[in-house]
Amino acid sequence: MAMFNRIRNLFRRAHMDAEIAAELQAHLEMRTDDNLAAGMGREEARRDALRRFGNPAVLKERTSAADAVLALAGLWFDIRYALRRLLKAPVFAATTIVTLALGIGATTAIFSTMNAVLLRLLPVSNPAELFYLHVPDGQPYGAHSTGDSETSFSLPVFEALRQDRRAFSDLIAFAPLAWDKVPVRFGEGAPEQALGEMTSGNFFSGLGITPRLGRVFAMPDEGQNAPVVVLSYGYWTRRFSRNPAVVGQAIYIKGIPFTVVGVAAEGFTGVDPGDSTDLWIPLQRRSELDPWGNPLNHTLYGSPDWWCLRLLARLAPDVSPQQALAEVAPTFQAAAYATLGAPDAAHPRVKMTMVPAKGLQGLGDYDRQPVMILMALVTLVLAIACSNVAMLLVARNAARRRDFSLRMALGAGRATLLRQLLVESGLLVLSGAVLGWLFALSATSGLARWFHIATGLAPDRAVLLFTSIVSVLIATIFALAPLRTVTHAPVAAALRVSTSTGYRNSRAGGAALSLQVALCFTLLTASGLLLRTLLNYQHTRLGMRTQGLLVFGITPQKETTDDARFRFYRELLDRLRALPGVESATMVGNRIGSGWSNNDEPIVDGVPYSFDQVPLRSNNVGPDFLHVFGIPLLEGRDILDSDTPTSPRVVVVNETFVKRLLPHTNPIGHRLGDLKDRPYTIVGVAADSKYRSVDEAPRAMAYYPYTQNDFRPTMQVELRSWGDPLALLSSVEQAVHQIDPDLPLEKPMTQSAVFEDSYAQQRLFSRLAMFFALLAALLVAIGLYGTLSYRVGRRSAEIGIRMALGARPGQVLYSVLRDSVGIACIGIAGGVPLSLLTGHFMGSMLYQLQPYDASSLGAAVAGIIAISLAAGFIPARRAASIDPMQALRTE
Amino acid sequence: MARNDLQGSLDLLVLKTLSQRGRLHGYGIVLHIQRASDELLQVEEGSLYPALHRMEQSGWISSDWALTETNRKAKYYRLTAGGRRQLQEAEQSFDQLVKGVRAMFRYA
Repeated sequence: MAMFNRIRNLFRRAHMDAEIAAELQAHLEMRTDDNLAAGMGREEARRDALRRFGNPAVLKERTSAADAVLALAGLWFDIRYALRRLLKAPVFAATTIVTLALGIGATTAIFSTMNAVLLRLLPVSNPAELFYLHVPDGQPYGAHSTGDSETSFSLPVFEALRQDRRAFSDLIAFAPLAWDKVPVRFGEGAPEQALGEMTSGNFFSGLGITPRLGRVFAMPDEGQNAPVVVLSYGYWTRRFSRNPAVVGQAIYIKGIPFTVVGVAAEGFTGVDPGDSTDLWIPLQRRSELDPWGNPLNHTLYGSPDWWCLRLLARLAPDVSPQQALAEVAPTFQAAAYATLGAPDAAHPRVKMTMVPAKGLQGLGDYDRQPVMILMALVTLVLAIACSNVAMLLVARNAARRRDFSLRMALGAGRATLLRQLLVESGLLVLSGAVLGWLFALSATSGLARWFHIATGLAPDRAVLLFTSIVSVLIATIFALAPLRTVTHAPVAAALRVSTSTGYRNSRAGGAALSLQVALCFTLLTASGLLLRTLLNYQHTRLGMRTQGLLVFGITPQKETTDDARFRFYRELLDRLRALPGVESATMVGNRIGSGWSNNDEPIVDGVPYSFDQVPLRSNNVGPDFLHVFGIPLLEGRDILDSDTPTSPRVVVVNETFVKRLLPHTNPIGHRLGDLKDRPYTIVGVAADSKYRSVDEAPRAMAYYPYTQNDFRPTMQVELRSWGDPLALLSSVEQAVHQIDPDLPLEKPMTQSAVFEDSYAQQRLFSRLAMFFALLAALLVAIGLYGTLSYRVGRRSAEIGIRMALGARPGQVLYSVLRDSVGIACIGIAGGVPLSLLTGHFMGSMLYQLQPYDASSLGAAVAGIIAISLAAGFIPARRAASIDPMQALRTE
Repeated sequence: MARNDLQGSLDLLVLKTLSQRGRLHGYGIVLHIQRASDELLQVEEGSLYPALHRMEQSGWISSDWALTETNRKAKYYRLTAGGRRQLQEAEQSFDQLVKGVRAMFRYA
C-alpha cells in the first residue's frame, strides 16, 4: 500500500505540491487566527505564526521529500533539474559526452572486431571439441603441397585417419575450389564469381550445421562424388533474395552443372571467420574441380603425394588432444610415407599437431600483432578519455562546492544532493554511451570491411556494457568526490573559504594532466612512426611504370591440356592487342604486387646454389613483358612471341641475379637450370623491380616464358592502355566472352591499386593511429584548457593583486603559458620512455624506419608544445586582461 | 525541540496524540502536544509535516481533507491499525530508554 502510494505520487507531483502548500498554509492561518483571538495585532499575529512554524519553503521541500522517499518519485524531477543544469554549461556537457562517446565507441568497435576475429569460436555445435590438424614443419620430403604447407594433408592420409573412431568422432576434410573465387553461372546469366569449397561428406553433420532449406549433403554424396551444392545463407540472401525456389535448380561451377540441394543454417559462413564461403560441394573426381583450381596438374584422387586438403577433427568424448595424437600417430606415419618410401635420415619425419579451431586460423600470425598494438593504442585513448571525464567532473563539482554548502545550509538533504549528482553524471554517461554506440556501429562496419568479414559482425554488446560500466564507475566516483568534502566540512567553514586556494587539488590535477600528456605523446610518436612508414611505402621506387596498367586474372575452363591453354592465351592476347585503347598486352603467372611468388634454388652453368645462399624468385611471363611493365631492359632482349614451347628455352634475369650469380662477366648466353634437362639460356637482363610487395629487398629474379615452364592455369593479363585503364573493362569483357561465355574476369583492377592494396594494412594502421593521436591531442587540449581556465578563475584575486603591484599583462600571460608548457614538459619527460618502449614493440610494423626515430619523437614534442600553447592561450589572455580592481572587489 | 534529533520521539508524540484524540489536523496535533506536555515540549511547528507525511507513507496514519469548526479546509489525520502497533512498540522502547536513563542517573 505504502509502495503504491509512492508510485502514485510519482504521477501526481504537481497536485501533491499544491496540496502540501495548502496544508501548510492552513496551519499558518489557524495559528494566525488563534493569535488574533488572543489579542495580537494582525501583523504581529502573522509574524509569530511564521516564527513558530520555521522556514516554509524548506519545510515544504522536506515534506514532499517525505512523500517521495526512496528517490523513485523525485527521479523525473531530478532529471529535469539535471538537464537544466547541464544546459547551463553546454561546453562542459558537450565535451564530456563527446569524450565519453569517443572513448566508449572506439574501444567497443576495436574490441568487437578483435573478439570476432581472434576470440570467437566457430558458429558450430560444441566448438571446444574441434581442432585443426597441422603439420608445423611441412609435408614429408618428396611430397607436393598446395595451400598453406602447415595445414595441407593428402587424401590417403585423410582416408586413413578418418577410420580411427577412438581418437576422432569426426574427421572433416575441406579445400577451396580455387586460390580465390570460382566462376559460377545460373541458367543463361552472365558468369559470376563465388567462394566455393569442396568438403568431405561429413562436413555438415560433423560440425553440427543443419539445413535452413532443403538438405545438406552427407556421406553418400561424397561416395558418389555427387554433383550437388549447398549454398550459404549469406549467399542465398545476397544472390537469390532468399528465394526458396532455388533448391532443385542447376548451377554451373566452372561450366559443370550442379544441383542446389539446400541452404545451410543462418550465421554459418564456413570454417574461416576471416572469409565467408558461398557454396560447398562434395569432394569431386573431375580434374577441373580439383582443390585450389587444379594447379600443377595433380588430381585429388590420382596423386597420393599431393597434400592439398585441410583437416578439422572433432575429438571423441573423453579424449584429450595428446591422447588422440598418440592414438593416430602410427596410422598417420604409415599413410604419410605409404607412397613416398621410407623416410631417410637426412630429412626429419613429418610431425602432426592439433590447434584449437578458433578464429585465429584464417588470419594468421601476420595480422595478429598489429591488431594487438591497435588494441593497446585504443586502450590509451580510453584511459585518456576516462581521466579527462574524471577531471572535468572534479573541476566542475569543485567549483560548485560553495553552491552545495549553501544548499545544505538552507536545508537540502545530503541524499537529495547525492541523488542529483548521480542523476547528472548518469545522464552524461548515458548520452555518451548512446553516441558511442552509434560511433561504434560505423567504426565496426569499417573494420569489418578491412578484415573482409562479410557477415555477422556487429558491435559486441558485452564490450559496450563493459566500457559503459567503466565509464559509469569513473563518472560516479568523481562526480561524488566533492560531496564528501562538503558533507564532512562544517558548512560555515566551506562558505567562509574564498574561491581561491585548493593548492593540493590543483597539483593532483596537474599530475593527471601530465599523465595524459605522456599517453598522448606516446600516441603521437606511434602515429608519426606509422605515417612515415606509409610515406616510405608510397615513395618507394617500384622499378616499373604502374600507371596505365590494367590487370585481371583469367582461367581457361574448357581447355585441359597445356597446348590447348597456350592456344587459348595466344588467341586472347591477339584479340586484346587489337582492342582500341590498348597499347600493349602481356601476361604473368603471379600477379605483380599481390604477394605471390615462385621460389627456387638456382643452378647456373651447372653449379647448384642452395636456397639459403641465393634464393631465386621467378615468374612466368608473356611476350613483351618488360615493355608492357616499363621495366628498363639493360642488355639483350625481352621475352617475345617467338618464344614458344618448341623454340629454344630462354630466360630474362635481373640485375641482382647478375650481381649475385654472374658477376664480372657478360651474363648473356649463360645457362640457368639443370644442364641435363633442357636448361634456359639467358637472353636478357632487366633492371630490378618489385615483385611480391613494395617492402621487399631486391632478389635474384628469373622471367621464364610461360610457354616454356610449368604453370598454373590461371594467368594474370596485363594491359597497357593509352588512357584510363578501367575504361577498357567492358570491351575487354566482350573480347573474353567471344572466346568463352563462361569466363569471368577475375579481380580486375589497375596495377597501381594492386601495389596500394599490398600496403592497405599499413595505410589503415597509420590512419587509425593518426585518428587516435588527433583524438588524444584534442582530449588533452580540452583537459589543459579546462584546467587552466579553472585555475585562472580561482587565481583571479591573486593575479589582480600582482597586477595592482605592477605586474604587466605580458608577464601574466607568460606565467599562465609557462604553467601549461610546464605540465606538457613533465608529460613529455614521462612520454619519451613510454614511446621508445612502444616503438620497440612496433618494430615489425615499420618500413625503412628505426623504432627510435628522432623525427617522429621531435614531431611529437613539437605537437605537444603546440597543443599546450594553444590550450593555454585563451585562459592566459583572460588572465592578462583581468582588471585588478574588479578582481579584488569580487573577492 | 531541535530539528533533527529525537525524531523517534516526535513520531511517538504524534502517534500518542492521535490515539488519545482520534482525528486531528496538524495544527491541532501541535496544540495538543503543547497543552498536554504543560508547554514543556515546543515543536518547531512546520517540522511536524515532513514527519506526518513520512508516517502516512509508512502506513501508520491516514488522512483526509475536512472543514474545521472555523470553516477552514484542513487535512485531518487518524491512526491506522499499523500505527497502533507502531505506537505500542515505540512506547515500549521509550520506556526502556527512560528506565535506562533513570538507572544511569541513580547510579552514584
